[in-house]
Amino acid sequence: MKATLKVVNQMQADGIIGQYAIGGAIGATFYLEPTATFDIDIFVSLKNVPGSPLVSLEPIYSYLKTRGHQPENEYIVIEGWQVQFLPPADALDEEALAEAVETSVDEIKTRVMRAEHLTAIALKIGRAKDKIRIAQFIESGILDENKLDQILARHGLLAKWQQFKHKYTEDNE
Amino acid sequence: MSELRNKILAGKRASRKRLAALPFAEKLVLVEKMRDRSLLIASSPLRRRQSLRTATISKR
Repeated sequence: MKATLKVVNQMQADGIIGQYAIGGAIGATFYLEPTATFDIDIFVSLKNVPGSPLVSLEPIYSYLKTRGHQPENEYIVIEGWQVQFLPPADALDEEALAEAVETSVDEIKTRVMRAEHLTAIALKIGRAKDKIRIAQFIESGILDENKLDQILARHGLLAKWQQFKHKYTEDNE
Repeated sequence: MSELRNKILAGKRASRKRLAALPFAEKLVLVEKMRDRSLLIASSPLRRRQSLRTATISKR
């Protein structure tokens, strides 16, 4: 994993990607107990294609391919890890990327999304594994409830959160 | 029985808390180990044989 992060940091230093933040299961592992996963979700800010509102992952893929890292379906394998580069899909992703916390893995610097953003994104996506992650975050007691409420309100997720909490409380009674 | 179950659940909670408190780098090493083991299990011929058997049974 350290070797993978080194490559990603070098991509940033070389101007291929802007700021990045780790999300998904690996991001959650920063706060919670380790979870089995096969991939790393890296949210990246990308430049628009000139003259277009669209962003392209092509510069990332060509940079990595010339350095021997091979694409595999929606991933690119970097130093043994399947990495998925994800441009922010909406304002919540953008905020999570901008407000990520800096940390390091041994001596390698990296950025990880905040627990409250990871929770809000999991709520937005809403797959079974996302719901499990939300429950883990709640049980861990590390969520800043005020901060989370503000995020959920800003991104129109409060009603979904109430629904989730109602179901979660019911299941734990 | 219920007391025993509560004791087991409390033990699991404590274990999860201990794991969560580990440094990020150490947790990533554990994630890598879990991934490697999962891949090993998935590639096992026994598992492949089992999934073939399941497929045959479900066809019947």
